Amino acid sequence: MTAVAPRAGVRPARPRPSWGAWSLVAAAVVMTIVTGSAIHFTLAPLFNSATRGWVIVRQFFEPDWGFLLTTIKPMGVTLATAVLASMVGCGLALAISLLASRVTTHNAVVYRIAKAILSILRSLPDVVWGMLFVAFVGVGSLAGTLALVMFNIGIIVKLTAETIDAVDRGPLEAADASGANALQRARVAVIPQILPNYASYAMYVFELNVRASVVLGIVGAGGIGQTIQVELARFHYDNLSAVIVLLFVIVFLIDQASQWLRRRLG
Amino acid sequence: MSAVAAVRPTPPPKWRVVLIELVALAIVAVCALGVDANWARLLDAPANAWTYGGLMVRGLLNNPFATPFDEYWLTSLDFMWQSIAMAWIGTLIGAVLSFPLGFLAASNVVPRWVVFPIRLVLNAFRTIPDVIFGIVVMLPVFGLGPLAGALALAAGSIGSLGKLSSEVIEGIRPGPVEAVRSSGARGLQVLRWGVLPQVMPEIVAFWLYRFEVNIRAGAILGVLGAGGIGSLLSRLFDAREWDRIGIALFVVIVVTMIVDAVSGAVRHRIIAGGTSRRERAEIIASTAGAAL
Repeated sequence: MTAVAPRAGVRPARPRPSWGAWSLVAAAVVMTIVTGSAIHFTLAPLFNSATRGWVIVRQFFEPDWGFLLTTIKPMGVTLATAVLASMVGCGLALAISLLASRVTTHNAVVYRIAKAILSILRSLPDVVWGMLFVAFVGVGSLAGTLALVMFNIGIIVKLTAETIDAVDRGPLEAADASGANALQRARVAVIPQILPNYASYAMYVFELNVRASVVLGIVGAGGIGQTIQVELARFHYDNLSAVIVLLFVIVFLIDQASQWLRRRLG
Repeated sequence: MSAVAAVRPTPPPKWRVVLIELVALAIVAVCALGVDANWARLLDAPANAWTYGGLMVRGLLNNPFATPFDEYWLTSLDFMWQSIAMAWIGTLIGAVLSFPLGFLAASNVVPRWVVFPIRLVLNAFRTIPDVIFGIVVMLPVFGLGPLAGALALAAGSIGSLGKLSSEVIEGIRPGPVEAVRSSGARGLQVLRWGVLPQVMPEIVAFWLYRFEVNIRAGAILGVLGAGGIGSLLSRLFDAREWDRIGIALFVVIVVTMIVDAVSGAVRHRIIAGGTSRRERAEIIASTAGAAL
């Protein structure tokens, strides 16, 4: 039996502190202090004016269920808008994502322009699209549909273009070797590969659309959001509460159905 | 040999594809009727977009240092900064609150009877849009202003951050946990030395991503009176001041792109780890390209 030399005293040296990591933490702390003071952060209202706020919050616990009968139509409009915008948006997005990937677009200028337009599309929030289209086509669900289409294109193109970047190159080479043009190549070598992911993104965007249509209605783009806006302006919190509960149930059901489908696709 | 080449496999039947296309077309038709939209107005859209777009561009082209345009630029930047502040504080509070919930919703950390109710709560939070938190709780209690907006964003962030964190925690490798446990660690020590180092990079990346999302999500809260760029835009759109709208939208686009690029670079650094100088130059070049 050979004696093992006691090595308890020898410990590996501590790693040196990482300046990169600490400067990031410091930046985050500074950012927190600066932004916190910019919005006058305080939790005092939670204790001071809680009673004033609770008067309103309490009304949310007494929903007027009868009001829901009048919300059937706007809710239907909201769902139809979400479906229509998802389908139109996805269709356009597929074409644009072919332009926004180096795999399918060899022309550097076209690719750059597609990417630039995409970044601008993505940096505007859904509400802003709502406001713009309300100005362009007037108040109503047409504005909401168009706003959602733009919002969807931004999201789907980004995700799909990244999926296209990562496709298996084998089928592409085969298509090239047999003399396919760009469109045929996309049709037989790219789209079959990305279809499951693309379908999953489409479902994801549909989920987002149902939520976003609430937001769009508030700026005048129709649907259930408009009902919420009107009831809020009238201080009818009991009606508002019933609508919110209904919305919660519908969004929850759609999310569950969509996730089940996406799991099956993935 | 030539006879073999002539034999082609029969193409797969087309009827399934046709059926799917028909169903999709029918759904579009039904919804197009159901949205109750005034489709005729679609024809006005290009002309209006061209006119208003022209007015917006004209606002942008004015000398930004001459009055009153210097004032317009400063106001837009000020409100955009407020949006960023709202998003940062909202994300931070959401992150702090969701962090323990993420562990409590991971089935490899706590028993099933804890996981189930916590997940239910996270799902409920995830289902409610931020704007509803704003309307129901934050604006009544905290009054109009960016603080209410930040807290609404915080409430909206808890659900998704908690769910994403719990998924990361469930996906860890068991090796380090076993190693820590075999050296005598218990309870929180296992979490601190076995789990946390594995999951922290991805969780922090989710926080940053949520920050990017919250900058956009804050806009609607502004429309309702919670401050930030949304409140400025809603005022400008009501007054139809297209030159100022042009300036405000330009500020939104540029600032959002810059924040996305910085946050994206930090996320990449956290996930992918350190890089050599050459790789770093490539990453900077590619993120700059993506921002363009």
